[in-house]
This record gives sequence, structure tokens and C-alpha cells, in this order.
Amino acid sequence: MNEEEKAYIHWLCQAAGTGNRSFLRSLEAFGTPRELYRLTVRGGLSGKLSGRCKEKAARMEQFTKGYDVAESYERMVKRGIRLVTQKEEAYPKRLLKISDKPYVLYYAGSLPAEGKKAVALVGARECTAYGRYMAAQFGTALARAGVQLVSGMARGIDCVGQESAMKEGGYSVGVLGCGADICYPRENRELYEALLERGGVCSEYPPGVAPRAVFFPPRNRIISGLSDAVLVIEARVKSGTLITVDMALEQGREVYALPGRVTDPLSCGCNRLIRQGAGLLASPEEFLEEFLGEYQGREKCVQTELIFLEGIRGELFSLLDFTPLPIQELQRRYEEKYQKAIALPLLFKEVLELCADGHAGQVAGNYFVKIIKT
Amino acid sequence: MLSTITSGAVYGVHSHLIQVEVDVSQGLPCFQIVGLPGSEVREARERVKVALKNVGVRLPPMCININLSPADLPKNGTMFDLPVAVGILISLGKLKQEMVRDMLLLGELGLSGELKPVRGVLPIVREAAARGIKRCLLPAQNAGEGALIEELLSVGAGDVSEAVAYLSGEKQIPPAKSLPAGVCTGEECGEEGPDFADINGQQGLKRAAEVAAAGFHNLLVIGAPGSGKTMLARRIPSILPPLSREESLEVSTIYSICGRLQPGEPLKRTRPFLHPHHTVTDRAMAGGGRIPMPGVISLAHRGVLFLDELPEFKRETLDILRQPLEDRQVQIARSSGSYVYPADFMLVGAMNPCPCGYYPDRERCRCTPYEVKRYLNRVSGPVLDRMDICVEALPVAFSDITALRQEESSSRIRGRVMAARKRQERRFAGTGLHFNADMGVGEVERFCALGGEQLRYMERMFSCMQLTARAYHRILKVARTIADLEGSERIEEIHLAEAICYRQSDRKYWV
Repeated sequence: MNEEEKAYIHWLCQAAGTGNRSFLRSLEAFGTPRELYRLTVRGGLSGKLSGRCKEKAARMEQFTKGYDVAESYERMVKRGIRLVTQKEEAYPKRLLKISDKPYVLYYAGSLPAEGKKAVALVGARECTAYGRYMAAQFGTALARAGVQLVSGMARGIDCVGQESAMKEGGYSVGVLGCGADICYPRENRELYEALLERGGVCSEYPPGVAPRAVFFPPRNRIISGLSDAVLVIEARVKSGTLITVDMALEQGREVYALPGRVTDPLSCGCNRLIRQGAGLLASPEEFLEEFLGEYQGREKCVQTELIFLEGIRGELFSLLDFTPLPIQELQRRYEEKYQKAIALPLLFKEVLELCADGHAGQVAGNYFVKIIKT
Repeated sequence: MLSTITSGAVYGVHSHLIQVEVDVSQGLPCFQIVGLPGSEVREARERVKVALKNVGVRLPPMCININLSPADLPKNGTMFDLPVAVGILISLGKLKQEMVRDMLLLGELGLSGELKPVRGVLPIVREAAARGIKRCLLPAQNAGEGALIEELLSVGAGDVSEAVAYLSGEKQIPPAKSLPAGVCTGEECGEEGPDFADINGQQGLKRAAEVAAAGFHNLLVIGAPGSGKTMLARRIPSILPPLSREESLEVSTIYSICGRLQPGEPLKRTRPFLHPHHTVTDRAMAGGGRIPMPGVISLAHRGVLFLDELPEFKRETLDILRQPLEDRQVQIARSSGSYVYPADFMLVGAMNPCPCGYYPDRERCRCTPYEVKRYLNRVSGPVLDRMDICVEALPVAFSDITALRQEESSSRIRGRVMAARKRQERRFAGTGLHFNADMGVGEVERFCALGGEQLRYMERMFSCMQLTARAYHRILKVARTIADLEGSERIEEIHLAEAICYRQSDRKYWV
């Protein structure tokens, strides 16, 4: 397929608008995109359709007025964004096999390599410190084992997992719910730049399309479609993450979930998945062994240093948790467990020492959380 | 015949003595008041005429001219009724001019002749005493207020005939009793009202309130709905030191100008606690109006201004607080003149941590970090910057409500606060500062000098906890107060650590 044909396809994707997969299919009756373009320019398209399709065709004709096919395609390519169609060799093989595959895939950077395993790491945006920690562990371990990481570049788990994979020098691709030229959410700019450089960013939407809530559930099918297995780190019972899982199961992908405490609403979704038969993620090593089969990395992929702290500091560290605890709760637990009083000022001082040493973090004022150094 | 009566009017918190000059002479019958009278002053004619008739004095058909001198100051208020009536009686020869020598007269007349209380008695009487006036004749309900100034005798009359009888020497009225000096420095004042012992649990919150009260630091309380933020704020005046007599007079002056002093309690002895609703207008907050009046921030002078649901306040309304928080007074310029009202208050703000109120409780709060950030950003940054202490109120546990533990009473906490205040007084003697919170950058360097070890500690914390220069100075001020509470001359690590925990993370408050 030559560049000129692709330019017409790009025009078609833009003109037809987003979320019009069935409309696009019905347009195939009018021949190639180039023929369709000629028809549209002449204003003969809307006459041949009826009902809602007629309205859409009229909008297409409106859009096409003053549209320069070659120029706008070139502009896109110059900005580093390419597009790949189903008919091309470069179109991801894994994606070809799913039903409702995207008509085209826009991407910047590169797409996942075919010969290597790819795994989706997904989870809640509003995650806990536990979720962040585990996402970082898995991201690092997968990168070390040479597994490609697919995710949605969202806040929380997605971002943490991809960041640690990139930090480890691995490959990762972010599937976006907006044009591939837009960094959403904005605060992930650094990750976005890193992905453009050493990984990839892809989307089924043409460049310039702003993120909308309705774009995200369909984008999840691409996340699972691009990968061989889906790992769920944290998820509520009703969440976008579980949409990804549904898609993955439809597409026949393996699903793994990280167990959590039953009292934690962010682990409820995961625990339920495990009960329904999802694989249990006990550790990155165990997963890799099961998933890669021949994986021989018996030794721990991720070394966590064992922490021995003395005195009050050690006692406090053992009381801290992955969910943020207010200072008063810490005081109460301390007095209950060690049967001795501790004054608030002393408690402040000792906890602050833990924070300064990186063993604890101060969240939202006087709430403290345990941090395990990686 | 001409007569002159001394009266007074309030301008801002200051006052001027006004000479009421009355002339009654032959000519076409008329009754006019000149000297920039406001409409309520102009209406004195009708009140005086009818009141005098009702006590049996009929005004003859003569030409009555009244001048309020100095004539270039605008006059407002109803306090000129009594001076005008007495002036007419002197001019008519029914009273003698020498009876009102060195005497200040204030009072509003009712049509029956009764004397009604007026606003601003305290500042006017104070000014009169400074100008050598020896006696004052006031409405009976204001007599106690006048008696606060011990340099002169304050006499109260119930109606105009009693006043006339007093002035003609027919009747003796004993002067109102002055409150003994120092009455309000005693322990017994300000004891009534809510007490800290009512708050179960919330140790961290109480500790922060104690530190804030000791150094007069502004306090920001963040917490879920129903966690006791308002309850705490209401109790802060009970741990602040009692008002000194001088402070008491300052506060009473402001309340006198607003006409908010109760007749039974001429002297405000408790620290004010103002709690405006978030719909408060800019003018009500700062003071103002055609005839300027003190606003909420001045009524909270020497006390606590509590703003509940801080993000609900309009940004412009909060921005008004910036100048007063800096200068401890508010300047109001109107076409009629420029007025300065004192506004030295402790700002206590309360807010939810996020739109739903439960952050960082992940089980209940589903606000995104962006939503949380936007919520915090609704509060004007410069106002947040002036909050030295930031603390969380935790949701109250059932065990806390039912606990039988004896909670500490306000008077015990106040004892510690006062000890800390004493240290501050000694430290700031001769500098014009009162509390640690008043220190600027230069003073922080002078009074909060750290030892070598503490300096190294702060250096480490500065990089580990990502502090800013602004946060650094705020931490030193609060640490100074904590050290004062502990009775320590040096600022130790433990004081610094607590102060660091009270900082508000410079708007990176939320992760």
C-alpha cells in the first residue's frame, strides 16, 4: 500500500468521525477510499445513502470542502505519527485476530514486536500505596525479562507500571483514548516523551482528537488485544479495568490478578477475578515462570532490601501501613501494641525521621504511609 | 441668647468633640441646624420640639439657629438630640450656661422625652477625658459605658426632665460606678462558654490549637464533615489569654461604635469569636458603607475570626483579608474620608479535604487527584500562605464519643498558653511585636537562631521533605512557639519536627 492510498485513508478516518465503525464498513461498498473521496468532493455521496448515514455523509461532504488530502497527511507524518491499516504487514498480528479490530492504528514511536511476549499491566487510577508498589515491582520485573508492557498511560497503576518499565530500559506501549499526538493525562508528560523515544504510543483515533470518556472503554479492547496476558493490579468491582478484563476474556487472553485484603475496595475487583478463575499473581518471578515457561530466573528479579530499624523507629515502621494512617491512629496503635505512652511531639519527630530516610511518606498533612524502597 | 454645649462624634475609631452652638433670637420663627448635619441630625429638630413640649416646655415662636462646630466635619448619629435640647433651654434662660461647663452631653430623645442609648459613647468619652472634660451626662443605659473612663464622672439620666433637674441642681444623680481596674485580667472572666473538655479524643487537633493559641498563629483545620472542626474553633477563645484592660477597651470601643454593647455589660471581657457565613459580602467583611462602620474583621479584633468551609467563600472576599493579616488593621477610604479600623485577629479556617470530604480515606473518597487539587485551589493562595499551622480533624470514632476519659479543661491549657505568652512578651520587649506569629523574616533570623546541630537537622529535612524558603521561615516561627510552650530557650529538633508536620506542604498538600 503506498503513501497516497494511506493519505486517503487518513482523510476517511478524519471525515467519518470517531466511533463510526459500522458506518465505515458501509462505506466500503463505494470502492476504495480514493474513489470515495472523489464521490464526496462531487457531492454525490449523501444522495446514495439514506437515514442517519445520509446525515453523516452530508457532514463528510462539509468536512471535505477545502481539505487537502496530501498536505494534511504529510503534516501528520512530519509530526512523527504514522498510520497502519489492517491490510499491511506492520499491523499487529495479535490485533488482527480480535473481533472488532480497529480500522487503522495511528502510532508514534514503534508498535510491539511480534516475536516477543507482550503483557498488559492495568489497574485503578486512584490506587493505594500498595498498588503503586506492586505495579512498580511488576513493571521492573517484566522489563528485565524482556517482556513488552502494554498499558493505557492513565494515572495510577498504568503510569507507575510503564514508568518503571521504561526506567528499567524495557519496551512499553501506551494505548490512548485520544489522538496519539495528545498527552493525556497531562501530568504524564515525562512518561509520554519516554514512550515516544524508546517505546510507543498508539490510538485508533486520528491525531488532534481530544480525550472523551466514551473513547476509553473501546480503547481497552486494544490494550488487551495487543497483549498475550492481562495483569490486573488493583480494581474496584465496577471499574474500567474490569472492562479491559472482559475484553481480554472475549479475545481469549489469559488474565491474572493481584490479590489484596478483602477490606480494601480497590482489591475487591481483583479478588473476585481470582475467585472466577483468574491467575493469582503471587510475585513477578512466579508469574514469569508460569507465563514464559522456559524462564530460568530462579533468583529474585526484584531485590528489596530487608529493613532492620532500631528502637522506636523500628516499632513505628512495623505499625505503618500501605494505606495512609493519621498520626493519632499511629499513636493509638503504638500505645496498644507496646503498652507504653508516646507523646505526639516525639511521635512527630520519629515519623519524620522515617520519612527523611525514605521508609515512610507524608501524605495529605499528617497522614503517613509505609514505603518499601526498591 | 447664645449657648454652647460640648458633644462629640465618631470618625472611624477616633472621635472629635463637637461644639453645639445654639442661638435663640427675635425674628421670623424658624429652627435650623447647620454644620454639615446628616439626615438623622437634621431630624433632631422634630424630636427635640415634641420631646420638650411633652415635658412641659413650649418653644416660643422665635428664630432658633444651631451650628455644629467644627462646621466642616460631616456629622451623623442621634447623639446631638440632648445637647440641642439643653442648648435651647439655656438660650431661653431656663438653665444656666455654667452648669454645663466642662461637661459632655450625648443622647437621643424619644417623643415622650425619654433618653435613649446611642452608639460610640466609649470613644467619645475617652476623647473628652483627654481634652480635660470633667463630667458627662449620658442616657442611663450608656452611663456604665461612660464610667469605664475613670478620669471623668459619668451621670446617667432616664429622660430629659431628669436631665434638666440635674443640670438645674434640683436633683442629685450619683455617678455610675466604674468597673475596678484590672477586673478583666482575673481568672474568673471568660470562663463561661464552651470548654475544651467537651471534645473527646482528637489529641492532635487539640495540640495544634494550643500551639496556634500560644503564638497567635493562624490555623487551618482540614477534615471530613462532622469531625469537629467547628466545635474546636468555638473553643479557641477559651484557651487564649484573657483580655488585658487596654485590649478590653479597644474591643469595647469597636463594639460601642457598632452599637453592639449590651447595657448590662459595658466592657467586653471575653475575646470575640466571629463566625461569618460564607455568603458574607465584601463590605460586611472589611467594613464600610456610606457612613463607614467596622466590618467583621474589626469585630474580631483581639479575638478569633473563624471561616468555616473556606473554599465556599468568594475569592474576592478572602482576598480582602490579605492587607489586614499583614498590617493588623484595615483602611477604608470613602468619599467622606478615610478611616482606619483595627483588625488584629487570629484567623481560623476550616475546610473539607476534597469535594466529597473524605480524602484520603480511599474507601469513601473517589475524588481524583485533579479534583482534589482544584478544590484546594479555590482558596486564595495568599490567604493559604498566611496559615502557619495546618492540621487534620479525623472522623470521630465511636470509642471516642463514649470514652470516659477525663479530657483536659480549657483553663489548664490556657495556663500553658499564658506561660508561653509571658516568654514572648519578654523576648519582644521594645520591638513592637507581640507574638511569634508577628515575626518577619528579619526577626525570624534574630529570634529563632538555630544551634549547629539543629541547623544540620533542618538542612537534611529541607532536602528530604522538599521544603521551600517560605515554608522554612514558617516552620521556624511555629517551632519557636512550640519551644516556648515547652519552656525551652533553645529550639530543639523535636520542636522543629513537630513544626514541619504542621506545614501545609506548599500546595503540594495532596499526592
